[in-house]
Amino acid sequence: MSIPSPQTPSSKTEGALEGITVIELCGARGHFMGKLMGDMGARVIKIEPMGGSAERQIGPFMDDEPHPDRSLYFWSHNTSKESLEINIEDSAGQKVIKALASTADVVLEDFAPGYLPSLGLGYRDLSDRNPRLVMTSLTAFGQDGPYRNYKSPDIVALAMGGIMHSCGYDDVPGSPPIRPSGDHGNKIASHYGLIGTLAALFNRDFSGRGQYIDASAHEACNSTTEHALPSYLYLGATVFRQTGRHHSATPTPKSLCKTSDGKYLIVFQLFNNLHSWLSLVGWMAEAGMAEDLQEERYKDMARGGSRGMRMATDTTDSDHAFEVVRRFIAAHTSEEIYRGAQKLKFPWGQVRSPEENLDDPHFAEDRQMFTDMPHPEIGKTVSFKYVGRPYRFTKSPWNAFRPPLVGEHTKSILSNDLGYSSGDLEALISKNTISSH
Amino acid sequence: MSEAKSVVREGALEGVRVIDFSWIVAGPQCTRILADFGADVIKIENDANMDYIRASGGADSPNRSPLFNTLNRNKRSLTLNVMHPRGMELLKTLIEKSDVIVENFSSRVLEKWGLGYEEQKKLNPGIIYCSMSGFGHSGRDRDFVTWGPTAQALSGLTYMSGLPGEESAGWGFSYMDHTGGFYGAIAIMMALLHRNKTGEGQHLDLSQVEAGIGLTGTSILDYTVNNRPFRRNGMPPGNRAPDRQIAPHNTYPCKGEDRWCVIAVTNDSEWDSLVAVLGNPGWASDRQFATMKSRSANQNNLDELISQWTINLTPHEVFDILQEAGVPAGAVQTPMERAEVDPQLKHRGFIAEVEHAELGNTKVESIPMTMSETPWKLNKASPLLGEHSAEIYMDLLGVSPEELGTLYEEGIA
Repeated sequence: MSIPSPQTPSSKTEGALEGITVIELCGARGHFMGKLMGDMGARVIKIEPMGGSAERQIGPFMDDEPHPDRSLYFWSHNTSKESLEINIEDSAGQKVIKALASTADVVLEDFAPGYLPSLGLGYRDLSDRNPRLVMTSLTAFGQDGPYRNYKSPDIVALAMGGIMHSCGYDDVPGSPPIRPSGDHGNKIASHYGLIGTLAALFNRDFSGRGQYIDASAHEACNSTTEHALPSYLYLGATVFRQTGRHHSATPTPKSLCKTSDGKYLIVFQLFNNLHSWLSLVGWMAEAGMAEDLQEERYKDMARGGSRGMRMATDTTDSDHAFEVVRRFIAAHTSEEIYRGAQKLKFPWGQVRSPEENLDDPHFAEDRQMFTDMPHPEIGKTVSFKYVGRPYRFTKSPWNAFRPPLVGEHTKSILSNDLGYSSGDLEALISKNTISSH
Repeated sequence: MSEAKSVVREGALEGVRVIDFSWIVAGPQCTRILADFGADVIKIENDANMDYIRASGGADSPNRSPLFNTLNRNKRSLTLNVMHPRGMELLKTLIEKSDVIVENFSSRVLEKWGLGYEEQKKLNPGIIYCSMSGFGHSGRDRDFVTWGPTAQALSGLTYMSGLPGEESAGWGFSYMDHTGGFYGAIAIMMALLHRNKTGEGQHLDLSQVEAGIGLTGTSILDYTVNNRPFRRNGMPPGNRAPDRQIAPHNTYPCKGEDRWCVIAVTNDSEWDSLVAVLGNPGWASDRQFATMKSRSANQNNLDELISQWTINLTPHEVFDILQEAGVPAGAVQTPMERAEVDPQLKHRGFIAEVEHAELGNTKVESIPMTMSETPWKLNKASPLLGEHSAEIYMDLLGVSPEELGTLYEEGIA
């Protein structure tokens, strides 16, 4: 198989970050920052160690064949980047990073505190030559403090950050707190790292100077737990986890309801106001399943609204009403209840598996939420459907291209950006600073 | 490269004015980020239509909600009735003097007010309009109603969280309200950078469900490339890591009621350190635990043996002992431990204090980062309803003291 020329955007994007150059030295904690910037038009140069980033070893793999260029984990988090495969522990490699950083706008990194400075690649070293540089360090626990040298893969960030304390079951005896799948500790950290980076870029447009951002997964997760901290700090109340619904300091009604096709919906806000209650009961009555819910006392409850419900001490009637609604839902398919309830303005949602959104015409057709990305290295006409943009910019659009092969852009960056001759490249290859492919 | 100028700025977003119609959690999370960076965020409400979250502090005052205080610090509050013609006129003047409009209403509200993006643009060509709805402002289901939990359920995030064979555990809070807010702030700052460069404003059409779909990891590609759905036997994977084939990777019970730690061994050297901490027990040299692959294949047995060690320790004892030995581990921390014990959060000044007129001395979580040139500042607690109306009407919108009285009397302010 011949390797086609390096992948770049198919059509010239005018994304919001057009003109920004980012040097990314990130693994699992920070790679999503680089992706989000690249997808919006920034030029992101990903620095990978010899052999490629460790994330390339994480599955699932295309056709279940492990290979650094077939990791779907890597693909999901590394679109719209160029790959420079280089040994940064070697002085010739450090020289390359310094040269790139001297004209770059942003350096993103997620190494342990002190590692890059030990190579002469810390913020002081790099900003000395480039005061406009914004450098963001995204660590486990921060650059200083007693935990600074501790390790924090995703599950540790979610545990220490208080998120797992809120996620799990109240009706499965002995069950542990749950880590939601999808690398969310790392993603929360990446979102905040990006937020700081963008704020610093905006500031630079006025001050003329870059700056250093010290962000951590630990603080990012700790600030992303909704009621948990305010409830404790202001009321001394400790929220506990409940199956499929919000944490709470006092028990709330179960919101997961099973449908006739074995799927689930989340169902809440039964008693918002009288109008919505009557429309719900009317719908159930049409199916002959309203039972006694048309009685007056339920209307009184609905008039009180959701706040009245929360304050009620006797929940016998509301519990009964929920049971009747539950029976109605159990007799219908998930799709019937979802569409029917939304028509009546109830914010109920199907508990979908992610791939089921590919069959939802609102997202897949009308909103074009999924994007085909060409993978010419697999085959001339091969492309795969990726998750598309998380926001719709009407003037400076999202435009992603497929993740880089290991070292795909090493030679083009060294020769085109830094002016290395073919002799220079040979010398780096012979010293094992870059690879030969 | 341009010469570095010495300009002292009060915050990274100093000079940016934001009209904030947002409420509940997602929108206020977005504008909290902007306010923490020094933007002038003007939160618009009125007595009849105030942010619901204000009510969660009790019926006697709209100013006593803990969550409201956490989400709305550093913002100003303006009471303004947009249904009154003079109110609308004043709002239009404010739009002329602002950079960003944020709202998380359902998808047709601003259009109904006659203030869709095209109208906004006529008032202020550079305006950045960020709408944060559940389904976005186009498409057949644009009028569907969502709250954070709805967006989590539809996107797949709820389904992805749980033990195999059980119902979904889901997220125990509105994760997509937080993250929807992050995406709002990210999109607005990107659009501000674009405007700095081109002078051009734009409409940012955000959908909370779409943002959620983007956070479902490898599930979409595993389906479109390998035809393997996430909805299958054995999924979701609980607290294990099947795609990494590493073990141990799980929660483990500790001393105390409902206390748990996590341990995640990612390579052989961390495994050797763990075995040393455990005192080199005989079972650790059993063939079934010889390689990462075999440990992963036999993790039911492995987890049982590790639990016998953790059950006699507190979560923080496990955390300290293992981290000191270089093994990734953590305590499932409680709110009390995060607020009062965690020495790292204390060292980093994570819980900040601010005086609030009705709540007294209050504590809020910081924006989670330090910035060398433009550190965030906690200038003020969440605003009392209408606290800044007079100054905004008079200093910014040129309303005379006499007219201000009329605005209050007629229920416009």
